[in-house]
Amino acid sequence: MSQRLRLAAVSFLNARPITYGIEQGLVGVERFDLRFAEPSRCAAAVAAGEADLGLMPIAGYAASAEELRVVPGIGIASRGPVRTVVLVGQVPWEEMTAIALDGASRTSQMLARLLTKERGLDPDFVEIPHDQIADAVSGTRGALIIGDLGLHIDGRFPHVYDLGEKWHSLVGLPFVYAVWAGRPGVVTTEDVALLQESLRLGLQRRAEIGRAWALDNRVDPAVGENYLLENIRHRLTSDEISGATAFLARSHQAGLLAKPMRVRLFDAPAPLQPQPRSAPSLDHLLTDAAAGQRLSLDEAVRLYSEAPLLDLGQAADLRRQSLHPQGVVTYIIDRNINYTNACTTCCSFCNFHRTPGHAQAYTLSREELAQKLRETVELGGVQVLLQGGINPDLSLAYYEDLFRFMKANFPLAIHGLSPEEIRYLSEREGLSVRIVLERLVAAGLDSVPGGAAEILDDEIRRRISPKKCSADTWIDVMREAHGLGLRTTATMVFGFGESPCQLLGHMERLRRLQDQTAGFTAFICWSFQAEGTRLPLSDDTGSLRYLRVLALARLYLDNFPNLQVSWVTMGPAVGQIALRFGGNDFGSAMIEENVVATAGTVFKISANDIERCIRGAGFLPRRRNMRYELLS
Amino acid sequence: MTFGAISEKVSAGLPLSFDDGVALFREPDLLKLGALANQVRGQRHGDRTTFNRNLHINPTNLCVAGCKLCSFSRHSPEQPGAYTLSLSQAWDKLKARLDAGDPVTEVHVVGGLNEALPFDYYVELLAGLKRLQPALHIKAFSAVEIFHFHKLFQLAVREVLQRLMAAGLGSLPGGGAEIFASRVRQRICPNKCNAEEWLQVHRTAHQMGLRSNCTMLYGTIETVEERVDHLLRLRALQDETHGFQSFIPLAFHPDNNALAHLPAPSAVDDLRVCAVARLVLHNIPHIKAYWISLGIKTAQTAQWFGADDLDGTVQEEKIYHLAGSETPQALAPAEIVRLIRAAGRTPVERDTLYNVVAQGEELRAGASPAGAQP
Repeated sequence: MSQRLRLAAVSFLNARPITYGIEQGLVGVERFDLRFAEPSRCAAAVAAGEADLGLMPIAGYAASAEELRVVPGIGIASRGPVRTVVLVGQVPWEEMTAIALDGASRTSQMLARLLTKERGLDPDFVEIPHDQIADAVSGTRGALIIGDLGLHIDGRFPHVYDLGEKWHSLVGLPFVYAVWAGRPGVVTTEDVALLQESLRLGLQRRAEIGRAWALDNRVDPAVGENYLLENIRHRLTSDEISGATAFLARSHQAGLLAKPMRVRLFDAPAPLQPQPRSAPSLDHLLTDAAAGQRLSLDEAVRLYSEAPLLDLGQAADLRRQSLHPQGVVTYIIDRNINYTNACTTCCSFCNFHRTPGHAQAYTLSREELAQKLRETVELGGVQVLLQGGINPDLSLAYYEDLFRFMKANFPLAIHGLSPEEIRYLSEREGLSVRIVLERLVAAGLDSVPGGAAEILDDEIRRRISPKKCSADTWIDVMREAHGLGLRTTATMVFGFGESPCQLLGHMERLRRLQDQTAGFTAFICWSFQAEGTRLPLSDDTGSLRYLRVLALARLYLDNFPNLQVSWVTMGPAVGQIALRFGGNDFGSAMIEENVVATAGTVFKISANDIERCIRGAGFLPRRRNMRYELLS
Repeated sequence: MTFGAISEKVSAGLPLSFDDGVALFREPDLLKLGALANQVRGQRHGDRTTFNRNLHINPTNLCVAGCKLCSFSRHSPEQPGAYTLSLSQAWDKLKARLDAGDPVTEVHVVGGLNEALPFDYYVELLAGLKRLQPALHIKAFSAVEIFHFHKLFQLAVREVLQRLMAAGLGSLPGGGAEIFASRVRQRICPNKCNAEEWLQVHRTAHQMGLRSNCTMLYGTIETVEERVDHLLRLRALQDETHGFQSFIPLAFHPDNNALAHLPAPSAVDDLRVCAVARLVLHNIPHIKAYWISLGIKTAQTAQWFGADDLDGTVQEEKIYHLAGSETPQALAPAEIVRLIRAAGRTPVERDTLYNVVAQGEELRAGASPAGAQP
């Protein structure tokens, strides 16, 4: 720790809040040595070993020859117009025969190329130095203008396309321009905490930073202020990471990025607990929570136990509306493939598993799988959810072969293997969870489903699923997956006689991990489906408890962008009503599901029915993939 | 009219206008609407949700009306599934329940418009049920059937009712109202009595001291304006007679009928109709969430959207089940009690006229422990 950490950062206005605390000597004076450079130089400095950490364009991070990691929680992003990445021209985009690119930023270049390609256009691209770019526009030659220059071009060109806005309207996710990145191991969690503190201080002074910049550049102070307050976002939340992941995946697919890349993260410090307040009224709590203020565990337990159902629902509905103001409710077309039911875990609530060797135990053959995958593609599916029992006959090599086979033959994302299955593979093979995940990713794993969470409380787990991984292990596998850049979901099954504290405790564990990694895209809960299982039902698993739990999840899980409703277990009617109790996603038009079906719950609806349900609740239906990227 | 202004009218106990009703149906914020209906429900009924122990008997499905919305009726005895119960078959349905020790308090009798059965069949049907259990309340024959008897047997409506009352008729169910607007009636049930005739049967019944219920079938081809018009016509008759006990919204079920191309109304629509009805029908005491029509989960949820009654245990429901309802044929009283308690309401068993039959500890004996599902 004696050595100072060398930081290379861009000096654009949008980076100033990030470096503010350090620049002002308020944070890490002893620890950081901060230098400014042009965006592409920041990546180069890290590559050359001249800097330990660079605030670098996402494309620089992705193109690095060595594996880099990203500092969690900090980035330069936009959720709509960004103003500082604009394509300009004398003619419309469609008529441009050439586009001049600013050599200073590879990310903007990649974004421009990608969006041009997505429009089915094929102009020539020419690279031009940063200071000459605005003069490059003439005739049918357009130009990509980046950085603070973009704030000065008002009225200069007849055709202006804000690429931040274009990206957002295309996929419905933010665009991430730059992140802090460096080699694994160069920063400690204390360094991460300092960098986050520098940003926190900068965010408090955003307006001031913007105005000061404007004065230096002789433009209207409101221009700089509005830019930092309205266009740029500096927190790398779940949506930003999904957006960056989507950009990297699309760029790879379009041939703009040589290798597939994800947002791999440095470890984050433990999150701070919210300040306790002195016993506010229920109304007060609900109003605050609806406005996005963090609830403490005690406050949430109080709301769960005392708040009237519709008050809770209305607060959750307001919160949903502010997170998803466009009124879109998403769903996915995928297939749930339960590749084996042979399982040694024997959870008392499960009616799906058979002990290995049992006459009804099965593992799907390649041919059976291929048939299901073909049907999935034909029905417009974009993904398979692959989950199965803990089957000792299946090795890591089995899954690697299976994933490679799937990827080689079908254009489907693999959302597969719950933390319990991953933990088991690590134990079976004597390999770390990280190695297991890395090998699965190399073979084609795209994301990890949040199953096997049940209630993340060891007292409950010992009672209902004693052989399953502990709550800590479940969280640790997810932490590892998020660190490697895998997006995951989180689930909760309630109705096992858990106390309100245990129920909220589950959400608390998810919220803490999400504060650190932002790796969860969505939360999904449902109640225990008892029929045919060995576990007698002794708890309320009805619709109204479900709606209460869901509404509370929307308020408590303030860092989860998406809440799926579970029509598969609760039925389409309750699923639809749940869209007014905090849900913003209708889950999957599942082509197949076996686990809850064997516990007596069978609901089947088509994509058409799903869209009708969504419209009937007053929303606009859109299809998505696992990253919640809107699909057209 | 803004929601806030409507809300003030509701709080002041003022009747809502046609435009208010339309605005409520169009209000996108379902929970705001629900909360207002819930407020009215709370003022009238506190935390109570009522139910009763009843039995459905559908004596015949032979029917000359030929309504497009119906999956139950058959137009000729040769058609597969056509049936007419003999009197003893009909009585046996009640007898079986009584023999099983079920303290059923109501029989609900409705059927097709059958041209072959004599009037004595209906009179004797009721008399026989009454003989089996004199304390039983018989709620029988929708206004459409009463009007059919009036036409077929050339008897005044008053005369029809008088004779049936003498045989044991206790009240009229609310069916057959569908949607009053003639545009809709002509397309979905052209041969049924019209709105005025339906209302006149109830008016007459109320004048003769009979209580009745009323309904609205929604989710076919009606507009929001036609729904509000329907509710307002019911409200106007109620102002005149005060004879309606409860309003029952009936969701259209599209399986096995001539309107099968229409989608079923969704749960959000179900809750909306329930809530708007509670707000517009300020002079009708009860709003019933009929679980057979809405599905158990939606009916349970409706207790927060204006409904204060879940109908009854019902046995052998035919009409909705032939139209694709996936609900069970009957709910045990303990199950209804559990559904009410799980919604945070206080269950009360009532009779047909909403007198309390059992509440509190008296019910607990019949309920299963700790809210367990059967």
